[in-house]
Amino acid sequence: MDSSQLLKGVLDLAVLAVLNERDGYGYDVVRRLREAGLEEVGDASVYGTLRRLFKAGALTSYVVASDEGPHRKYYGLNEVGRSMYATQAKTWASFAATMASLLEERRG
Amino acid sequence: MTPEEYAQAVRDVVGDHPDREELLEDLDDHLAEIAAESDLPLEDRLGPPSVYAEELMAAYGGRSEGRRKRRTTPREWVSPAHAAMMRHGSYRSFVGFLPELRPGWWVLRGYLLAMLLLSVADHARLAPQSLADWALVAAAVCVSVWSGRRRRGRALGLLASAANVAGALALFFGLVTAASWNNGADHGGFMAEPSPNVYVQPASSFNEVYNIKPYAKDGSPLTDVYLYDQDGKPVITSPEEYGYTVDRSCGEPILNRYPLPLVPQDGIANETATPAVTCPTTEPPVPPVTAEPEPTRGK
Repeated sequence: MDSSQLLKGVLDLAVLAVLNERDGYGYDVVRRLREAGLEEVGDASVYGTLRRLFKAGALTSYVVASDEGPHRKYYGLNEVGRSMYATQAKTWASFAATMASLLEERRG
Repeated sequence: MTPEEYAQAVRDVVGDHPDREELLEDLDDHLAEIAAESDLPLEDRLGPPSVYAEELMAAYGGRSEGRRKRRTTPREWVSPAHAAMMRHGSYRSFVGFLPELRPGWWVLRGYLLAMLLLSVADHARLAPQSLADWALVAAAVCVSVWSGRRRRGRALGLLASAANVAGALALFFGLVTAASWNNGADHGGFMAEPSPNVYVQPASSFNEVYNIKPYAKDGSPLTDVYLYDQDGKPVITSPEEYGYTVDRSCGEPILNRYPLPLVPQDGIANETATPAVTCPTTEPPVPPVTAEPEPTRGK
């Protein structure tokens, strides 16, 4: 099974989870997703997802000046984002449990 | 491709997207950070700009599939496959190793282009044949390495691409030429030009044939005998290789008239020479060429 296809379906939740942990800028979110094991995630996919979530009103953003490089635009969850994260996390947990149960039954 | 060039290529693909500004807001900073993080080219790290732009818009929920730009160039067909392969660690490692080969290619490219230039201007060759050739090769290698190390603009980038293609073609045709020469050498190809003479080879490895002494049927020695092979070519020996020279006191000798009037070279030969007693006056005859009967093989 191509895990990149699965990733497309849960990228919103993955980005929300990372930002729920702490605020981050675009490339920081990409790095943290990869460190979490989602190595196949594409930079452009994460940036596009951040823009869409921001446009949907789920994220706040602020610019942090940097002495070493470009100024970075940080994203964080607002109330809408935290609610969205909770809902999606619940949906995913239920879906994952259903799938696990399904596979367990067929295996047993 | 510099971050600026990459960003411009992404902007070109995003085109007139209704949320263009939002989509491209962080693009420059993102590319600058990645470029600062690694020497790996942006195309290798992120995939081609067109794929990056499509991925960005797809994640944002922008253009529908039907509005996607049609793939018209080979690069646009190969790019998605490359981007997909970049998701695999082993392929990423391979692509990451390629930049280490660049300095070697720059040197080889300079050499190839110099040899291509020399071959076009003069005659085909695989290696420098004169001091001027070497000087041109050194100059071409220096320019090639210099342009390889330099950050390129669009014009120099196109020039470098053309040089890469020319270098690759020169390498290909050079290898083909070398292979054909190699085959030629295997089949005696270096003697490509037919010799007008036939040289006598020793009958065995212990014999040295540098002169021929013909005798008549009754055992009396013959002089001024002209020898030709079956094709009418003069039969020639190489007495110089055995310490003798042909006596030229009677003028330029005819080398297939035997016995040859030989004189020893400076103390090299120790055998008795066959000096010319009288100077022959006759011109060499036209050799009779007769068809040689085919050997019969068993009945």
